[in-house]
Amino acid sequence: MAVRAEAPPVTWKRGRVASWLVTVDHKRIGIMYILTSIGFFALAGLLGVLMRAQLATPNEKFLTKNSYDEVMTMHGTTMIFLVVVPIIAGFANFLVPLMIGARDVAFPRLNALSYWLFLLGGIVLWGSWFATGGPAKAGWWSYPTLSEAQFSPGHGQDYWILSIHILTLSSLLGAINFIVTITNMRTRGMSWTRIPLFVWSILIFAVLLIVALPTLSAAVTMLLLDRQAGTHFFLPAQGGSIVLYQHMFWFFGHPEVYVMVLPAMGMVSEILPVFSRKPIFGYKAVAFSTVAIAFVSMLVWAHHMFTIGMPLGLDGFFMLSSMAVAVPTGVKIFNWLATTWRGNLQFDTPMLFVLAFIALFTIGGLSGLYLAAFPVDWQVNDSYFIVAHFHYVAFGGIVFALFGGLHYWWPKMFGRMLDERLGKTSFWLMFVGFNVTFLPQHMLGLLGMPRRVYTYSHGGLWEWYNLTSTIGSAITTLGVAVFIANVWQTHLLRKGVRAGNDPWLADTLEWYTTSPPPVYNFDTVPYVESARPLRDLRRKLAEET
Amino acid sequence: MPARVRGKLSLVVVTCCAVLATAGVAAASNGGFAPESPHSTNARRITSAYWLIFGLTAGVFVIVETVLVVFIWKYRSRGRDRTVEGAQVHGHTRLEVIWTVIPVGILAVIAAFVFYELPGIADAPAATDAIHVTVEAHQFYWQFDYPNGVRSINDLTVPVGRVVDLTVVSPDVVHSWWIPALGGKIQAIPGQTTHTWFRADAAGTYTGQCAELCGLYHAAMRARVIATTPQAYGTFIASGAAADLGRSEYVGACATCHGMHGEGGYGPNLQQSPLLAQPSGLEQRVRQGGIKMPPVGDTWTAGQMRALASYVRAHVYKGAASGG
Repeated sequence: MAVRAEAPPVTWKRGRVASWLVTVDHKRIGIMYILTSIGFFALAGLLGVLMRAQLATPNEKFLTKNSYDEVMTMHGTTMIFLVVVPIIAGFANFLVPLMIGARDVAFPRLNALSYWLFLLGGIVLWGSWFATGGPAKAGWWSYPTLSEAQFSPGHGQDYWILSIHILTLSSLLGAINFIVTITNMRTRGMSWTRIPLFVWSILIFAVLLIVALPTLSAAVTMLLLDRQAGTHFFLPAQGGSIVLYQHMFWFFGHPEVYVMVLPAMGMVSEILPVFSRKPIFGYKAVAFSTVAIAFVSMLVWAHHMFTIGMPLGLDGFFMLSSMAVAVPTGVKIFNWLATTWRGNLQFDTPMLFVLAFIALFTIGGLSGLYLAAFPVDWQVNDSYFIVAHFHYVAFGGIVFALFGGLHYWWPKMFGRMLDERLGKTSFWLMFVGFNVTFLPQHMLGLLGMPRRVYTYSHGGLWEWYNLTSTIGSAITTLGVAVFIANVWQTHLLRKGVRAGNDPWLADTLEWYTTSPPPVYNFDTVPYVESARPLRDLRRKLAEET
Repeated sequence: MPARVRGKLSLVVVTCCAVLATAGVAAASNGGFAPESPHSTNARRITSAYWLIFGLTAGVFVIVETVLVVFIWKYRSRGRDRTVEGAQVHGHTRLEVIWTVIPVGILAVIAAFVFYELPGIADAPAATDAIHVTVEAHQFYWQFDYPNGVRSINDLTVPVGRVVDLTVVSPDVVHSWWIPALGGKIQAIPGQTTHTWFRADAAGTYTGQCAELCGLYHAAMRARVIATTPQAYGTFIASGAAADLGRSEYVGACATCHGMHGEGGYGPNLQQSPLLAQPSGLEQRVRQGGIKMPPVGDTWTAGQMRALASYVRAHVYKGAASGG
């Protein structure tokens, strides 16, 4: 029934593969983003398991020195730039136009360019395994002078810089697209207090990217010039400053954390009410806390640098600002808890992941307070305590929310339900495996194990905690494998049950259209009268019959 | 349904028991629930700030997780259909204010305590007999310069009970000085000097290692602080050089790549290298580095070079390759 006004498309563009290569449809681009990111997640996850294998026992010789540093650098860089940020961009692509009742994003071709730049950036980074001297090995923040030509010869570091340039460009284009789409293309009746909280989080995600990313681009450009053009921005022997790079990197690096966390929180704020059969508790408080976290997150970067000997006044300022982030974060946690109060809780797989997010993110948030209190940070910074802390935030928090999102929106994206039994198995394996992996790392850090060491010689508790952690990583891997098996069974074996428009009885507009949605998204969009347009429709239908 | 719930519950209980059992063992050996037992006032004050935060965060943790588990249990569907709605509560302004203000209060307590403890952590006590030591962090060893020109590698010998004031520098990449029992970290940043201090309150050997990724052998960059009696320290400092300077130079700077006995490893085998028998050639190589070798000894004194030359001659060199 769709009105096709344009000229009939060129036939080759309709091929099964070619139609994906030339698409400018936000849903297909979103799906490509998500699947590519899952691919990189599997690769970078395997790198993580390799590191755990090397650290399982003292003086292990499985993956030594250079290889360990390469694997560690690629794991971190890939997880941040090729997994979490792009998978969020993928969800945002697929969901934002549907959630606000639009037919596509504001600039569909720019959107396609964003995706292809992301893929190119990923290929450049992973192609650097074949570079002279191997890939970058100075860690994901690549502090000079270690990342300068004298200490990192070969081209790995240059490919790393090139890939960061391509990926920041991709993210910036995407961010502009989301902001324009959200501000201009909302359907009738969808005021700022009626847009889904996930859309709020994507708006703030995009603003943060635009504010923070150029500083990273500048920092790595200066590093590239140092390496290739003979400048000395970061070479102290010629008057350069290493601390300048540290400031520039973390001015980007800390907002980047919230770039990743806020959309994950947005997903929680979508999924939790649906499976509690309730509205979100304190919509405005949750939306405003998103804005507040983003604002304060611009003022906390130097808490990554407490050990460089800053003036104590600055240490004090950055402690107070870092603690201030905890307040709106707490507001979110309490509102989510209140959302489950007197609900009718349905424990489908998405809900399990989201409840685990709340449990685990709380731990990651609280362990952050030890780092904000700068004298304590002097003790725990750069140790395994930090590794444990940010994995509780990034894996226990963000990745669990993303898995919740995958299970929740999978039927909308692909039209079939994932299997609940496999979904729950995968959840419990990941939940147990995650905690077994990362809880002991807090203790390792307090015992004095620094991060980024390829081996250690201590036996006793060091060995036990490390071995436990390695066993946990194997359990986690199994959990992810079960998820992949679930996808395999659902689609390739065609065992997945067809999803209707709205299998979860959800609240937001993406469930108004078919699963998967047609190219043009909606035949008509109802006038939006609240933040839960689909529930309004269900009630109207019930009244009429 | 209840049976499945019970199954999961028992899984959770078993996991908790296992965790508690492990925790008990670890706590018995004081392992990993607080920073390493402090042996300097700054480290002790950091540990007390740690315990304050631990107490408050543990309280918040228990409250949040308990509420979460209780709500999950209490408001589970019990077979109610998805179409049955929960209470349609949209919010509560007074609650929002309460759970904004209470965390602010908790954070204020932590911040106030940190500022209260800070002077005793950041500032070395005013002492006329403070010992000033320069810590030079290298890829991949630590070099210590004592007031009278004595040098040592990787082992810092200090007297118990005296303030040791450290000036930390690096000629190559960023490193981070960290002896957990004696206080927090401080980065060694090329082009800058940073400072920290400690006062060991008991004799003993305190170990630590570089905490900032500094390259290939980051993991091998270990340091020991040997706190000893004032008499033993006096003897050490009067000797003009660490008794085993040559050995500690070789072990700290050379053995990482060339092996403890020069047998080779990441770097080539040295046992038959003619360089070891020529002090001037050895000095040039150590000062300037080679193709892949960093200039490990670029700041070494003539005395250090002599000590190294005599040590490698006696303990590493096995004679020139025969027939070569």
